[in-house]
Amino acid sequence: MDTQIELFRNLFDTAPDAIVIVNRYGVITLINAQTEKLFKYSREELVGQPIERLIPERYRSKHPKHRAGFFADPRVRGMGSNLELYGLRKDGSEFPVEISLSPLETDGELLVSSAIRDLTGRRRAEDKFRGLLESAPDAMVIVNKDGRIMLVNVQTEKLFGYTREELVGQWVELLMPDRFRRAHPGFRGGYFIEPRVRSMGSGLQLFGLRKDGSEFPIEISLSPLETEDGILVSSAIRDTTERRRLEQKMQEASRLKSEFLANMSHELRTPLNAIIGFNELVCRGKAGPISERQQEFLTDSLNSARHLLQLINDILDLSKVEAGKMDFRPQPVELERLVGEVRDVLRGLAATKHIRIEIDVEASISPVVVDPARVKQILYNFLSNAIKFTNDGGSIVVRIRGADPTMFRIDVEDTGIGIAPENIDKLFIEFQQLDGGRAKRYAGTGLGLALTKRIVHGHRGHVEVKSTLGTGSTFSAILPRKFEVEELHGE
Amino acid sequence: MGNDRILIVDDNPTNLKLAYVILESAGYEISTAINAAEVLALEGEPPAMIMMDIQLPDLDGHELTRRLRRDPRYKNVRIVALTAYAMKGDREKALDAGCDDYITKPINIELLLATVERLLTRA
Repeated sequence: MDTQIELFRNLFDTAPDAIVIVNRYGVITLINAQTEKLFKYSREELVGQPIERLIPERYRSKHPKHRAGFFADPRVRGMGSNLELYGLRKDGSEFPVEISLSPLETDGELLVSSAIRDLTGRRRAEDKFRGLLESAPDAMVIVNKDGRIMLVNVQTEKLFGYTREELVGQWVELLMPDRFRRAHPGFRGGYFIEPRVRSMGSGLQLFGLRKDGSEFPIEISLSPLETEDGILVSSAIRDTTERRRLEQKMQEASRLKSEFLANMSHELRTPLNAIIGFNELVCRGKAGPISERQQEFLTDSLNSARHLLQLINDILDLSKVEAGKMDFRPQPVELERLVGEVRDVLRGLAATKHIRIEIDVEASISPVVVDPARVKQILYNFLSNAIKFTNDGGSIVVRIRGADPTMFRIDVEDTGIGIAPENIDKLFIEFQQLDGGRAKRYAGTGLGLALTKRIVHGHRGHVEVKSTLGTGSTFSAILPRKFEVEELHGE
Repeated sequence: MGNDRILIVDDNPTNLKLAYVILESAGYEISTAINAAEVLALEGEPPAMIMMDIQLPDLDGHELTRRLRRDPRYKNVRIVALTAYAMKGDREKALDAGCDDYITKPINIELLLATVERLLTRA
């Protein structure tokens, strides 16, 4: 018997909650060790004292009435649920508590046992959470498994025009336009099956619905929130109106720029028509005989005019690619013949420098389906660059091979001056001709490679460069064997 | 038939002169106009070919071509569009409007002469 009493006393004293046993007159009859610790009184200071000693002043007057209520209907229950309760320590400080009450009958006397739990730690975490929630830049809406709104922050009130009180307890579907409401509970259910941090409806345009009925574009990220009440979903909702406006503005600006470039190219080509045309006529003696020296000067002038024309054409092409207006007309192409044509155009240039051009096309690769004019442009740019940067007597190899079942690669390998590793990134940027004296000797528009890269990208391919300074470079375009035009952009 | 006259329509006098010189020195008989109104006002036998700038001040070359094609006299006249504007669909637009061919500026002398010869001998 004694051992049993001892056991109960131990249980009582080691309970994690403070336990205070009070009679119907509000007098403390028994406390455990945790009570001493929590309220900082000794057992002797409390037993026989009114329970109100442990209650802050402002609650004391009402307490006896509540106690009488309990004794009138004694059963296990929480005290003042939904109310914030506080305990009062000996030193006068307060702390948040949660209290559960249960009736206790001994020797025919009804007592109440109250288990008091210190909520300081939990409250602190809650405050922190609430602080985080309120300071979040996004509207935060926390929803339970049933789709009811549990908690919102001030941003939510601002964004949707509802007060907190109007939202808490409502279906979350209240915040979305009618057309999304039907499907949403299904998505919600899906989320709880596999709850993880992710954005909602990626690739979809989502909208929020304000209290006044207006809609606005939003972006939503979801994250699961594990709580005592089970898993909740926290959704961070961002208004993207402003961002979308900026994006549209930028697209418009980019379109206007391209349009400007296209118009400018046109305006520049018109006078060049006369400059090149008349120069040619005079040069050919159509305006009467000319001296050799006049012929030489006119040829220089004509070459400069043609260079200017090339520059203008490249700018026009670049702006066309940017504006999504570049025409791609894929058709079956024999690559061997295509490369031959490009080589023929550049044969004269290569011959003046005694450069040998070798062509090596894998026989089984053709036909591929590409835009022949654009692939010629790629080859022309690579090959004319290779000739430009290869010294007299050097050699160039144009090699075409399958890269994998869907792609093929064009490699143009030269024995030229090569490129320093730090300069490779600059190669494909407009007007970024490499300087430092050496490249200055080589005339070019500074647009050829930038344009080439865009044409290759337009074909859903990519470019590569390998180079060793002083030894040579290999420029490569990796292109799909069968290019299909997607009618997504432009027009 | 037997008529080798070419009408050049261009509002830019220098470019008009260039086409004139090139075609005249190749032996063709040339007449000129500097806008659409002048072309529409022409009377008598039409030329064998019209070399037309697309960007005219009063009416664009496509519309001018469409109007000319409605006139029975112009049914068999070869019309070549000339433009410094080379955007997507320009060629299609010119051909849709009723042009027989399309040449971009700056003019490539050989290409111009070859085109004229080809179209006139086919006529």
